[in-house]
Amino acid sequence: MSADRTQAALEAGTSIFVATLDANMSPLCCRAIALRSEDRLATAVVYVPIATSRDTLCNLATTRRIAVVVTKPIEHMSIQLKGTSRTARLARDDEEAFVRSRLDGLAEVLDRIGVPRRVTRSFAHWPAFAIEIDVDDVFEQTPGPRAGTRLR
Amino acid sequence: MTFTGKLSDLKRCFQGVVPSIIATSDGAGVPNVTFISHVYFVDEQHVALSCQFFNKTRKNLDENPLACVEVWEPITLQAYRLHLRFLRSEKSGPLFDAMALRIDAIASHTGMSGVFRLIAADVFEVRAVSAVEGFLLELPPDIVAGDPISIEGLRTEVRGLQWVSDRINRAPDLETLLGAVLEALDDYFHFSHTSVLLYEEGTQRLVTLASRGYGESGIGAEVAVGQGVIGTVARERRVLRLTHLEADLHYARAIRREAEAQHGSVALQMEVPLPGLPDAQSVLAIPLAIGDRLIGVLSAEDRDPMRFGEWHEAYLEIVGNQIALGIDRMLNRAEEPEEPVQGIAPPQTVRPPARTRRRVVTFYKSDDAIFVDDEYLIRNVPARILWKVLRESQRSGRSEFSNRELRLDPWLGLPPVKANLESRLILLRQRLQEKCPDIAIAPAGRGRFSVRTCAELELTER
Repeated sequence: MSADRTQAALEAGTSIFVATLDANMSPLCCRAIALRSEDRLATAVVYVPIATSRDTLCNLATTRRIAVVVTKPIEHMSIQLKGTSRTARLARDDEEAFVRSRLDGLAEVLDRIGVPRRVTRSFAHWPAFAIEIDVDDVFEQTPGPRAGTRLR
Repeated sequence: MTFTGKLSDLKRCFQGVVPSIIATSDGAGVPNVTFISHVYFVDEQHVALSCQFFNKTRKNLDENPLACVEVWEPITLQAYRLHLRFLRSEKSGPLFDAMALRIDAIASHTGMSGVFRLIAADVFEVRAVSAVEGFLLELPPDIVAGDPISIEGLRTEVRGLQWVSDRINRAPDLETLLGAVLEALDDYFHFSHTSVLLYEEGTQRLVTLASRGYGESGIGAEVAVGQGVIGTVARERRVLRLTHLEADLHYARAIRREAEAQHGSVALQMEVPLPGLPDAQSVLAIPLAIGDRLIGVLSAEDRDPMRFGEWHEAYLEIVGNQIALGIDRMLNRAEEPEEPVQGIAPPQTVRPPARTRRRVVTFYKSDDAIFVDDEYLIRNVPARILWKVLRESQRSGRSEFSNRELRLDPWLGLPPVKANLESRLILLRQRLQEKCPDIAIAPAGRGRFSVRTCAELELTER
């Protein structure tokens, strides 16, 4: 997988969503606020607000499967990670600054396409759950004919 | 939290202002999540999504029909989750046509026709709707829900329709009619960037004949049928309302970049600049037609991404019908036998031009176009009309001409009836006013017009 794509996914200013599913194979989506990886997406930690992720956590406890789409909103450049949650824990205090900085980064980008910063900053973001993931696959997700191509 | 309202209460979520997200899974239970540009409201129990590529989402739905879509209310930013069950793909029919229209227009506008296209309208049953509680920490103080339509508002709108209709009926000529209609739309509905394009059957193009809010740049601008938003509306004879246009264009351009990276740029067409506002965020284009016969297109633009609502679409379709009938009436009147208007003494000969100024008028035969002092003026039939009358004026000193003699001149290529001559003369008159006021064309009674010049003209042909 190109280092550019990995780097772009881990930069500030991305929009992140996760998908999970329950025991009845009913999918669910949820906005995440931040994504972190120290090993070029072999593993990752995705942060979801506690306020909106109760059902997501229930699903992970049941099925453990998760997909994460990371998008740069202006360019529509996207990748999707698929994997298995290793654990979902309450995010630590020392992670709060990182989560807030990612929300600020998104606010800056969305402001350039007409969503005021103060609106984005009002998104629920803290306290958060930190979902630790073993990433099995990474796919190209930028809209177009290459969408769905496996990057890793 | 379960949403207890009707699905139609969430219609603003379906305007595409904020992209939605869909989660699906394959048969083995591996989830997939991706953005979708639009969720289409079908009825209180159904929505449809556009299938533009045979992608993972589409494949998953065949293995597991359950899906979850998250949509946002664009004003309050409240998020809602729609829990869906995939029912069927429609590849033709009214729903498909309505969804394809928007995609075709964006595709054409970005030079992506044939690549960015609707493959199918995927129809879903809405099993449940829930509001995502706690999504916003607090509602920003200046964000409020939109005003419901009030009785007083409806009265104003009925009065507006009455007023537009009255202006159309009173207009003595086509030029006045078009100007009055655009002024009325501005006055009553604050549509301050509007234009009317008339259809030319011979060239299969639409020519801008009246505009408001664009300065002088709009008149004479042409769009081919099928090209861009306006051309698509003309081809399909259907109203098209695009909201949050910039996001759609970004999305289509992202696909274009990807397609070019994969296939190269050879197969793709050049991007057509959107006529009008360079930063338009919403567009409403209405076909002006009588039965199946296309008369033209009325286009309105705005920088506000939510300027035009569903209601405007229905309302302006009524206005559009009135305008189409009015234009047709004017064009038919112009075809009637010539009749000098009492009280107007048509000038018989050209007055000696003021010799202080000299203009070089050049007719380029191969391009069918006229330039004045090396600046483009006009082309096609209006160019030939101007060339004919200027040469004739210079040769014989005549200043007055009849529509009939133009129609009978085979060089002009006008059909003997329904020649749209009136609209061509309006276009010519307006282009002269903007680009060369030293030459003026004015009505001289029904079926007649005069030409006056106040500079010395040098006519050359190349």
